[in-house]
Amino acid sequence: MSLLSVRNLCVNYKTERGTVHAVDGVSLDVAEAQHLGVIGESGCGKTTLLRALVRVLPANSVIPQGEVIYKGRNLLALSPAEMREIRWKEIAMIPQASMDSLDPVQRVGQQLERLLVVRGGYDQRSAKTRAVDLFELVGLEAKRLSNYPHEFSGGMKQRAVIAMALALSPSLLIADEPVTALDVIVQHQILDVLRRLQDELNLTMLLITHDISVVAQVCDSVAVMYAGRIVEQASAETFFAAPSHPYSLGLQQAFPNVMQAKDTLITIEGFPPDLHQPPTGCRFAERCPFVEDRCRATDPQLELVGSKHLAACLRSAEMADLRVAAQDPALWKRSLVGQQYQTVEMPPINGGTSAAAQLNGEEVLVEMKSVSKRYKIGGGLAGLIRGQGEQTIYAVNDLSFKLRRGESLGIAGESGCGKSTTGKLLVKLINPSEGQIIFDGKDLAELPEDELLAFRSRVQLMFQNPFEALNPRFTLYRSLAEPLMIHGWRDEGQRLERIVDTLNRVNLRPAEMFLNKYPHQLSGGQLQRVVLARALVLHPDFIIADEPVSMLDVSVRAGILNTTKRLTKEMGLATVYISHDLSLLRYTCDHIAVMYLGYMVEYGPSDEIINNPKHPYTQALVAAVPLPDPSLVNPPLRIREGVPRPTDLAQGCPFVERCPEALEACRSIMPSRIAIADKHDVLCHLYGEHADSPKLTPAASEQPA
Amino acid sequence: MQQEARIQEAQLSSQTMAVKLGSPLRQLWQTNLEVFQRDRMAAFGLFIFIFFFLVAVLAPFIAPYDPLEVVEQDGVWLSNKRPFWMEDADEPVQFILGTTNVGRDIFSQLVYGSQTALLVGFSAAITVSVIGTVVGLIAGYYGGWIDMLLMRLADVAFGIPFIPFIIVLSAFLDPSVWNVVLAMSLLLWRDSSRVVRSQVLVIKEKAFVSAAKVSGASSLRIIFMYIAPSILPLTFLYGSLAIGWAILTEASVSFLGFSDPESVSWGFMLQDAFLSLALSRGAYYWIIPPGLCIMLTVMAGFFIGRGYEEVLFPRLRRH
Repeated sequence: MSLLSVRNLCVNYKTERGTVHAVDGVSLDVAEAQHLGVIGESGCGKTTLLRALVRVLPANSVIPQGEVIYKGRNLLALSPAEMREIRWKEIAMIPQASMDSLDPVQRVGQQLERLLVVRGGYDQRSAKTRAVDLFELVGLEAKRLSNYPHEFSGGMKQRAVIAMALALSPSLLIADEPVTALDVIVQHQILDVLRRLQDELNLTMLLITHDISVVAQVCDSVAVMYAGRIVEQASAETFFAAPSHPYSLGLQQAFPNVMQAKDTLITIEGFPPDLHQPPTGCRFAERCPFVEDRCRATDPQLELVGSKHLAACLRSAEMADLRVAAQDPALWKRSLVGQQYQTVEMPPINGGTSAAAQLNGEEVLVEMKSVSKRYKIGGGLAGLIRGQGEQTIYAVNDLSFKLRRGESLGIAGESGCGKSTTGKLLVKLINPSEGQIIFDGKDLAELPEDELLAFRSRVQLMFQNPFEALNPRFTLYRSLAEPLMIHGWRDEGQRLERIVDTLNRVNLRPAEMFLNKYPHQLSGGQLQRVVLARALVLHPDFIIADEPVSMLDVSVRAGILNTTKRLTKEMGLATVYISHDLSLLRYTCDHIAVMYLGYMVEYGPSDEIINNPKHPYTQALVAAVPLPDPSLVNPPLRIREGVPRPTDLAQGCPFVERCPEALEACRSIMPSRIAIADKHDVLCHLYGEHADSPKLTPAASEQPA
Repeated sequence: MQQEARIQEAQLSSQTMAVKLGSPLRQLWQTNLEVFQRDRMAAFGLFIFIFFFLVAVLAPFIAPYDPLEVVEQDGVWLSNKRPFWMEDADEPVQFILGTTNVGRDIFSQLVYGSQTALLVGFSAAITVSVIGTVVGLIAGYYGGWIDMLLMRLADVAFGIPFIPFIIVLSAFLDPSVWNVVLAMSLLLWRDSSRVVRSQVLVIKEKAFVSAAKVSGASSLRIIFMYIAPSILPLTFLYGSLAIGWAILTEASVSFLGFSDPESVSWGFMLQDAFLSLALSRGAYYWIIPPGLCIMLTVMAGFFIGRGYEEVLFPRLRRH
């Protein structure tokens, strides 16, 4: 007997342009104690489906048909008052970005207790004990109840939100992207909490995410949503072993797996169809590499393809062959949209890799020499009034590395580790407080005005958020022409020629079609290609990509990465990738530098860093990456979440507070850079002269319950 | 098929491109157009302005008399005449809105009053919004001590009471409608500069501005090509509000008697009516028309301002 059963549910949105069929005939069953993961890219109706279940849809929505049966009652037929009784007590929801939903002016405990008293019928005293229990359940200390939300780190807030959702002992917990936007270590720990809840509370869970690794780690069954429909539904094991819809095949292969290096990634080009007028045939046909003529005519229905395994594909009989064929990235370019992004051979620039290869090992293009960056905050009149003195933020400390032409370096670390500051230093958006940055033999700090302009044409930054990186008031032509105009390209014809050439290189074709478009007319993936094109239009020597794909959908990430990787080879560029995602860095970079609190704690060849991490922090980062395989459970981490604020320059090792291996020496002596192997350095006492120092008592490094 | 269509479109667009390139100005024009297309109230406001503008320009042809001329007949002042519909039919001279207590034609004053109103309104609005925008852009973009200095100046401007300031100013200068414009440009830039500054602070942190910096764009280029276009609708909003304010202020200053006795404005008319006890004589035809005109022009400014607001802050539109 299923706890929740959705029958042929449709949700429409009324917009200025007509009706959007956001959810179009979804049927689902969630059994008691089942953990169902709903995956799909943005715009597929996942969130709408979820909100329809608890009836918290926006005002312009209509539910023309369907039923949501929960414990034998049709939720859609209940009165608003009855529905209120169901919400939270029966079905609790953790909405997207819910960390920000805590009231900033109330203590977290107060919010939780008030909820218990008002909705749960607890009295003051029992509410207090219940709140303590709930906090323990999600791994927070009871004394934290008297804190305000701003005193919590992101992970703690998410824990508190989960505690609130569970406060009234619901039977069903619905979570929308519960770990998105969290750092990988925090993410790992939240997933741990969710897993533990399953065991301890026998909770039924419905989880929405775009990240199939999360599903693999927490869920026992999977539903794949595409364009308002469910296209495949199976148990987790079956789904990961034998996916039976081309879309699932693509999703599974689309993202770099930290444990398996690949040469080229699979990308599902394009984006979901416009749901104002859904296509008549299969909705995935446009992006499907296995498309046949009948796919465009017949709308496939969900059919049983195995035991408890449903899929909606006309070719499911041949699925075993398709699965093998889908391994080949070239195949995915054969879909109708994929053809647009087909790579065309173009002549290399600056001699490309061959020229770079000749110089490789000789010419250092960029060098950082013990660079530090400090910010001063507070102080001044306002600080005096608030009683706060001036504080110094040590954003980057004593950073040194060399980068040659044609090389790529990845900078990894949690947020707040100084990786973006490093990026800004490299493009001279900010100046270092100490140390030197040498570009092509010249110190950046001492560049005269005219050479600075020349430097600006040789170094480019590729931004994280493509939706913000382009001036919304400029056409794409204008955006791309700006750098050229600044650097004295007066001739309109030449500019146009260069821009068209660059757009072709980033696989935006036909380039002429994009020139007069405005940024809002393009999808995220296309925009990021434009951002890449702008970075490349001046034919620079060096580009820095700051989280190049973190804002994009999984399906198109690979496309951007492939293109960037290919072009940096083609143009012989030195590249720095900044990302929190080790699997991405492993895919794109020769070397990886791991940063913590502004220090580079480990530096080495990418494969070495992943397979043989030395620094305890790197070990934790690698171990925390969720694996897209339900049979592999990430090992529990021995490190605490939350990066301390870098307001004090540590006397000893910066990582000592969180280090599971901390030694006595780590408290007081700053470790020096130790070469483990060729080009593999680590900043840790475990491998140096103090390695025999006694282990620190666990008090400091113990992880919370 | 689809591919062919795409290529055709591409060819078409590359032909028309020469015309379309370099279009931030055009886009700005579109934003403005959108305001009036989308919002009927704004369109109505614009209509009112156009109407008064035409009246002001054509005043010599519309007004039957000079506004300060004392109308006489056979050496007798035709003072305190009532409008034609209230006056006896056998009166030799009929007036549309009657005359003042010294025999000046009220309708002509009303017509000429629109000249003063629009002159003051628009020149004050332009100076206020230009000064405010430039100060806001510079303070917001450069930050540091420049920001500190400009914003403390704005604080000073906030601390000065407006009407007394004009009165003091008129005491030092010759009475003239320009006093109002001068006073407004000295003080009222404070509001728009604050708002523009905060918006600049938001925009300058956007990635596309950093991108421009990385590609080597100069500060002036960034301010005027990247930031200013996003700010301009805000400038228009404050400009259109300032028109109303200026007209209202001019009327109040005139009513308090600090205006130029040689120029006619609606506020001046109200003061004239007030001092000659028009109310006690029931001469509503003398008081209501200038009051109505002031109200209409001020309202027009606010209607247009509201229209801009809805384009600027689309969230308001939903309700």
